Amino acid sequence: MTWTLLRGGRLHDPTNGIDGEVRDLAIRAGRLVDRPAEPPAEVIDASGCIVMAGGIDLHSHIGGGKVNLARMLLPEDHRDRMVGSNPCAVSDNPLELISCGHATPGTLATGYRYVQMGYTAAFEPAMLAANARQAHMEMGDTPILDHGAYVLLGNDEHFLQRLAEGAPPEEIRDLIGWTLHASKAMGIKVVNPAGISAFKYQQRKLDVDESHVHWGVTPRQVVQALARGLTDLGVPHPLHIHGSNLGVAGNIASTLATIDALEGLPAHLTHVQFHAYGLEGPKKFSSAALQLVEAVNARPQLSIDVGQILFGQTVTASGDTMRQHANAGLASPRKWIGADIECEAGCGVVPFRYQEKSYVNALQWAIGLEIFLSVRNPWQVVLTTDHPNGAPFTSYPHLIRLLMDRPFREEQLARLHPDVAANSALKDMKRELTLQEIAVMTRAAPAKLLGLSDRGHLGVGAAADIAVYRDDATDRERMFTTPEWVFKDGRVVAHAGRITATPVGGTHFVTPRFDDERDTGFAEALRQRMARNGSLHPQHLEIGHDELCACCRGGRLLPTACFEGAAS
Amino acid sequence: MTDDRTAPAAADAPWTCPFCPLLCDDRDAAAPGCAWAEAALAALAVPSTGARAGHARLHGQPVPREQALRVAAEWLHAARQPLVAGWGADVAAARALYPLACRIGAINDVTAGEPLAQALRAQQDRGGYTATLAEVRRHADLIVCVGSWPAERAPRLFERLLAGREAPPAIVVLGNSLGDGTDRPRSVTVEGRTAEVEWLAPGQDLPATAALLHLALTRPQRCADERLRSLAERLRAARYAVLVWEPGQLGAHAALVIERLQSLIGRLNLTGRAAGFPLGGAGGAATAQAVHTWLSGLPLRTQVGPRGLEHDALRLSTERLLADRAVDLLLWVGSFPDQRPPDGDRPRILLGPPALAHALGHESATVFLPVGTPGIDHAGHLVRCDGVVMLPLRALRHSTLPSVAETVNALLAEVQRLDAVAVTEVAA
Repeated sequence: MTWTLLRGGRLHDPTNGIDGEVRDLAIRAGRLVDRPAEPPAEVIDASGCIVMAGGIDLHSHIGGGKVNLARMLLPEDHRDRMVGSNPCAVSDNPLELISCGHATPGTLATGYRYVQMGYTAAFEPAMLAANARQAHMEMGDTPILDHGAYVLLGNDEHFLQRLAEGAPPEEIRDLIGWTLHASKAMGIKVVNPAGISAFKYQQRKLDVDESHVHWGVTPRQVVQALARGLTDLGVPHPLHIHGSNLGVAGNIASTLATIDALEGLPAHLTHVQFHAYGLEGPKKFSSAALQLVEAVNARPQLSIDVGQILFGQTVTASGDTMRQHANAGLASPRKWIGADIECEAGCGVVPFRYQEKSYVNALQWAIGLEIFLSVRNPWQVVLTTDHPNGAPFTSYPHLIRLLMDRPFREEQLARLHPDVAANSALKDMKRELTLQEIAVMTRAAPAKLLGLSDRGHLGVGAAADIAVYRDDATDRERMFTTPEWVFKDGRVVAHAGRITATPVGGTHFVTPRFDDERDTGFAEALRQRMARNGSLHPQHLEIGHDELCACCRGGRLLPTACFEGAAS
Repeated sequence: MTDDRTAPAAADAPWTCPFCPLLCDDRDAAAPGCAWAEAALAALAVPSTGARAGHARLHGQPVPREQALRVAAEWLHAARQPLVAGWGADVAAARALYPLACRIGAINDVTAGEPLAQALRAQQDRGGYTATLAEVRRHADLIVCVGSWPAERAPRLFERLLAGREAPPAIVVLGNSLGDGTDRPRSVTVEGRTAEVEWLAPGQDLPATAALLHLALTRPQRCADERLRSLAERLRAARYAVLVWEPGQLGAHAALVIERLQSLIGRLNLTGRAAGFPLGGAGGAATAQAVHTWLSGLPLRTQVGPRGLEHDALRLSTERLLADRAVDLLLWVGSFPDQRPPDGDRPRILLGPPALAHALGHESATVFLPVGTPGIDHAGHLVRCDGVVMLPLRALRHSTLPSVAETVNALLAEVQRLDAVAVTEVAA
């Protein structure tokens, strides 16, 4: 069998402890292998290049109803940015089907743009069980990238009711297991625990120890029950938490209370920038980044992603109807979409324009960077903008430069609202992240947090998802915008910014071993109860492997096993 | 392109009825309990295998399918500005049509696309707040149907909304031009429980009525209509009010009506809870809208032009383009039994169920390719009216009719072959 030699690149492979060593890589049948004895069929010269595993975005809204609603809401996002009446320019590459957009590009464009940046996988963080088929289809129509999704739990009437009735932990565990299995998800995300449901009952705010007006349960109970259930099931990715009171001044108290509610269980706190606000200063809105980081530094079982904001037009798409409704007055342009969904979730789409001269926006920007630069262990931090909520994913190279290049960062800081520029802790932060730390935050850590043992690294046996960047110490943004070569499963899919092949990506999902035969008819009773709160035939609640395959355009199914010994 | 043909359909899987916006999956096809479903099933109860399933046609004469495909591809290859209209099928069909539209530089629009476009324009201007079927059933204590009696086009709507509820919601119908008075149901009975239906017919047209209702809510002293003031008060007092409308029944100014209703809902949500439940998008329209939007980034009524994708919900309507002769070829897809190709004098490539062959009218410059119906002849997926829930469809019978997706993929392959030949000839 023939093989390809990637020669002379400087490797950054944190998983295997390789930090900038010049080494060759051998690729055969989609995998990295020990160098075969026979000569290679192809040699690619990577000298002068930085070689990393393909990027993995662990939190990016790339598939499902709310993103598609955002596309429908904003035709202006799909026109030329300079001359708004003009269409977006068309690629001259016949391999690319035409697809456009900036903050919410079509799925086709999403795949091309990610791959052109050296990313080879992205995970949708807010799939609704009721919308899971569409989410899988949209991801299946996102070319080249591998994908997966976290399904929402913690706001559906059935779960809240059973929690209120004191359901035993095994039942909650099995409900979680069944939900993962039925929707073919990679993990569980909770959004504003119990708060989306509470909004349907007219509640406008829900603190961590405040009771849901109808079910009487608190966000603390929800977080505890879900984190415990996932641990019992051995699901590799811990509970993915979008906490209470997103965007509210002083919400650091909720965030710390949520961490406290976990009682030492592992969890991933997502887009923490939006959850790290204090009440100090003349505007009663301040950075609480250091308080948050202190809590993270003290708890190795926690991980975070930042949800960095960057300036310009974007759109926020979230399941958090309670908070999106509260923020709808800030919509720019002034329109928004909300929905209450199938007694299990919600959806709020609010266009947003982050402005450098806005005190609040400038502070949000600074808080995100403060978090990146002050967490001690890079393995606990994942680089995200919560695409498109903080900024489109296409701004990652800019964000990487902000983190790696202090003079560049200070130049940007000087352009912001003067109170932020003068008072932010950021101005005294000297740290510049290294290439190795960037490799951790953009591939090694997300792979580890998702339990993907053969992704995110360059060891023998790993999938040959590889990004080869031409080293450019003077402009890391340029370097990370256009890798020289991108490999997906051993195949060159982009060269110097041009897509060279468009294979269908694979679908990651977990296969929890939950007990649905604890007593006869448990699964059926569960399905019936779920159906009563929903509107589907019980058998239609589950997506089988064949159907998943059709949804995902025949891409490979990539099941991830849960930890052994769980779920006795 | 992936075809849904092999999934998900175990023979014992529940059947999803594909004929109205509700996509009910709780009844067997043998007893759907719905006049609409029965009529549609009867219309499709024709042979679906072998030669009896119907022939392809060219200029009114039966021809082998390969010949029809070849001619259609030649027309598509030669067209200067084709229109891909209809999109009356499932997800797999829309997934197949988009690459073809890209290849030939088409304008894309659904059959009877005006309601879809009007609803879209209201959304693009202001957004809106909606709820899904299960949510309405659980929470609504007041349902106001605006402009029409929606059960006429979604016969089991109230059954689906009221089933399992101990206390049914109050139901009000608001509008002027409803039925002839005798057919107006005064109540709906579900599971032995009866909910009264109040009819309220104000003296203005719908846009004015919607505006007055908004006024009655925000400045009641300015609204002279006592009944609207009272309705506004009930909306305000409701625990969870739901406004139901059908974009296709709101008249020429549907977008204006929808915008005002959404403005009313937004107002109610400042202090209470309310949501809209628009009912439409049957026959694959909501599905095509979703798929076209996710693939391309833009909704239907979009042109794949030389400068890029241009979306214009007003200008790029099928009816307008055909009336203006702004296109030189029509490729139309309508796999459901009630769908008919639009009027016009352009050359046509039509994909529809075999029975459509008898309703083609004048067949000069027409290629007809019989196709199966999703949920009858093959498996597939459709998006429900609330735009959130996507249901799997299963085949009801053995059928040799190709799906729309298979047919379109064959057309694309043939067009690509012709394009390649043309390039070679130019190079030579």
